[in-house]
Amino acid sequence: MTVWRRLLRNPLTVFGLVWIALLLVCFFAPGLLATHDPVRQDVTLTHLRETPNAEYWLGTDAYGRDLYSRVVWGGRLTVQAIVIALGIATAIGVPVGLFSGWRGGRTDRAIMWVVDVLFALPLILLALAIVGVLGTGLVPAMIAVGVLLSTRFARLTRGVTLAEREELYVDAAKISGLGSPTILVRYILPNLMPVLIVQVAIISAVILLVGAVLSFIGVGSPPDSYDWGAMLNQGREQILAFPYQVVPSAAAIVITILAFNLVGDGIRDAIGRSSAPPKRRPRRDAREPREQFEHPDDALLSISGLSVEFPGANGEVSCVLDGVSMSVGRGETVCVVGESGSGKSMTVLTALGLTPEPGRRTTGEIRFDGRDLTALSERQWRTIRGRRIGMIFQEPVAVLNPGLTVGAHLVETLRFHLDLDRKAARQRAIELLKLVRVPDPERRVHEYPHQFSGGMAQRVGIALALACDPVLLIADEPTTALDVTVQGQILELLEETQQELGMAMILITHDLGVVAEAADRVAVMYAGQVVETGTAAEVFGAPQHPYTQALLATMPQHHHGHDGELTVIPGVVPSPASWPAGCRFHPRCSEAIDACQNTHPPTGDDPERLVRCLRVHEIDPQPRAERGASDRNVVEEPS
Amino acid sequence: MSLPLLEVDDLQVVYPGRKRFLRPAPPPIRAVNGVSLSVGRRRTFGLVGESGSGKSTLARALLQLAPITAGTVRLDGADVTRVAAGELREYRRRVQAVLQDPYSSLNQAHNTAVIVGDPITVHRDIRRGRERDEMVVELLAQVGLSADFLHRYPAQMSGGQRQRVSLARALAVHPDLIIADEATSALDVSIQSQVINLLRRVQREQHVALLVIAHDLEVVRHISDEVGVMYLGSLVERGGTDDVYRAPTHPYTAMLIASIPVPDPAEQAERRATRRRVAIDAEPPSPADLPPGCPFANRCPLAMDVCQTEPPPEVRAWHGGTVRCHAHTTGPALGGADISDHLTHSTRSTT
Repeated sequence: MTVWRRLLRNPLTVFGLVWIALLLVCFFAPGLLATHDPVRQDVTLTHLRETPNAEYWLGTDAYGRDLYSRVVWGGRLTVQAIVIALGIATAIGVPVGLFSGWRGGRTDRAIMWVVDVLFALPLILLALAIVGVLGTGLVPAMIAVGVLLSTRFARLTRGVTLAEREELYVDAAKISGLGSPTILVRYILPNLMPVLIVQVAIISAVILLVGAVLSFIGVGSPPDSYDWGAMLNQGREQILAFPYQVVPSAAAIVITILAFNLVGDGIRDAIGRSSAPPKRRPRRDAREPREQFEHPDDALLSISGLSVEFPGANGEVSCVLDGVSMSVGRGETVCVVGESGSGKSMTVLTALGLTPEPGRRTTGEIRFDGRDLTALSERQWRTIRGRRIGMIFQEPVAVLNPGLTVGAHLVETLRFHLDLDRKAARQRAIELLKLVRVPDPERRVHEYPHQFSGGMAQRVGIALALACDPVLLIADEPTTALDVTVQGQILELLEETQQELGMAMILITHDLGVVAEAADRVAVMYAGQVVETGTAAEVFGAPQHPYTQALLATMPQHHHGHDGELTVIPGVVPSPASWPAGCRFHPRCSEAIDACQNTHPPTGDDPERLVRCLRVHEIDPQPRAERGASDRNVVEEPS
Repeated sequence: MSLPLLEVDDLQVVYPGRKRFLRPAPPPIRAVNGVSLSVGRRRTFGLVGESGSGKSTLARALLQLAPITAGTVRLDGADVTRVAAGELREYRRRVQAVLQDPYSSLNQAHNTAVIVGDPITVHRDIRRGRERDEMVVELLAQVGLSADFLHRYPAQMSGGQRQRVSLARALAVHPDLIIADEATSALDVSIQSQVINLLRRVQREQHVALLVIAHDLEVVRHISDEVGVMYLGSLVERGGTDDVYRAPTHPYTAMLIASIPVPDPAEQAERRATRRRVAIDAEPPSPADLPPGCPFANRCPLAMDVCQTEPPPEVRAWHGGTVRCHAHTTGPALGGADISDHLTHSTRSTT
């Protein structure tokens, strides 16, 4: 449905589709479009070589035949040629590709060797050779073209099949007991369809071109026919006497090839989601009153009332961050905790001026060390990012360039920011690796990222972030991709270097255990809002927001032994496009009352201990063990 | 004592190194290196280990998706180490799975009616139609999904809902054993507990046995009767869940347990102290280049000379399970006792 809508949004694709539809009419009922008999010559010799006029829309040729009607009937031949060649190409190519990709190994190599050889030979020369054997005519020519083009489908299908074969759903189908033919036809083929459709459109253009060339040189349709290629040749004979005669058939060929390619591109874009950002519409309304906090003056980084919007699919705007406020003091560790989509990464990215496209910061103040960060130029940012604020990411290996040694990464950073000479930078790089306890740093500084394990690569990531003695370190899920025994080492390393260098740190995580280990203060986020802040002792010892309470209670650690059900938070995490009105947690909250459905909960006045809940004064501050709630009755999101 | 449902004896999965032109063949990768375990009828066995420990390879081998190099697997006493093609379907009916990634384990091109219905057609020969759809709706009800989900596609469902559909698909054929390979690890915290409860309830009501594979120790602890700890292809300790967690007999188990972060600052500080005591800042060896002795030796605070040269024997632990560690037979010769008191202070990191 949406693919169709995206397809029809592009005017060029619509043009291509209309043109192809017209061609189909030419195929099934040329009489509907043609105004004259395409082969009747003008025996009166009065209407030879006419240019377009009311009677002959595209003029007439040297024998007085109506060029418009000939083009229409030629369309019929074109479609016929494409259907034959395409039918043969897919009927051979797709099964061969499926078989080859599915079997893999030696069979695959043998088949692909043959396919590659065929693929490498020039198409038209081979077609000529085959026509020489089968005899001239459009049908033999197209059979030849179909056989040759089947290699393209075979290669494509085989590539996709090889990739799909490794997908988990194929394993799942095998475990279900389905046989290979069923898996290929019912499971893999449907996933192949989008790519095949694109290929069909583009190959159609190739077939048309090759067919036209063959007819032009007289081995396809008979020289006298209304095949577009043959017509082009007839025009060529008249090129000195009546140059116009080549125009209608040439235009038909060009426009048709263009149409096929436009449709192919359009389908590819529609499937792969157009890269062009959708149009922005103005904000509908200022939905919620936003709190603006006065953070303490000595805060190192303070974020106040930060909102970020993303344009959605239908011109809607989704507000992925909504009035987020938090602050970090010097030397302090603040943990931002929340589930996926709660906006924790978005908050720090926006604070660093790196809001992902097409997002846009709409409101909010960001102050760092007394400076307003919202108005910085890209040039000014460079003196802050990577220098005064270091950043660590979740996938340590992905951050490093596989073509550069670990030392080169560090040296580059040091030279760029600190203007060190090469020797001093190298010395410092080794010191940094020592600081993050990479064993044998003098040797490992010359190694490449792929020679480092996940934990060691993350140490390099930390060394990079620490290179310029930042005053603030932002770590976005630094241990999520690591094993649990390595996680402990990395957390400890972070803490020790932080103390050594006197940095402040913002640690983003979904793991409350990590928070408990590292945090001085905590900000809990849910659905783009901060729902609770406080010191670690406050948030873990006396959580006030029902979400924090429930989150703590769902942890299996709270159920020692293995009797009884785990506490659950019913429902699903909402997406930014469908955030509930009122309190965003109310549909899943065990404490919700009617007022929660339409009241924006207040957060209180203390930015150091805010709780975004209407019933904050009525709720017991403790982890909430909401037992049982047999999940057979769990309310599923009606999406 | 009746026969266990699944018995795995000295199972090995070895992948040969890929040959390269004019270069010596790289050493084989021992992904699973002599694992023995058994799962009782209607019981839950939890398998924990970090990445590269071979736990997922073990699961794939048991599902007949990875080739078994040596050892035996028995289901109900019958040898199923290498199931013949003709008997594979019956084996698949008895052993089902819920796989890790809820996004790629369901085919995007099919709706729930087909995803859950296809196994019914294969194993019970009920063709597509109303009867099959009714059965699917009933299965969906068992996993807490309404009948509306019958015509939904994976793209229209959340991660938790997809894992429910995966479970319904596994239940469709009334299996004896369900292997859950990291079935909850891709889910949000608040959704994870829903799925864990569901697995437990389904197990109780449908009388299936579960083999739960996870890197999250707390998930395994909550759900399992028995637990096995894997490290680099070896099962280093196996025993009753509560016993193993309370008083582990293998230093790796102790280190793993001390590494679980708990959401309680005070307890977490205590764990950190333990972790400092047991953890050595070293990297695990590569599965392609295992040391001749104990694979854990280079990270073990108790490591002795013998650990570098000889693989540790499997000995009976105090909790009735087994442990593979030299410390129980030589050196302190603990004889299967709780190891926590013997973990000495070790200097962390040598640099």
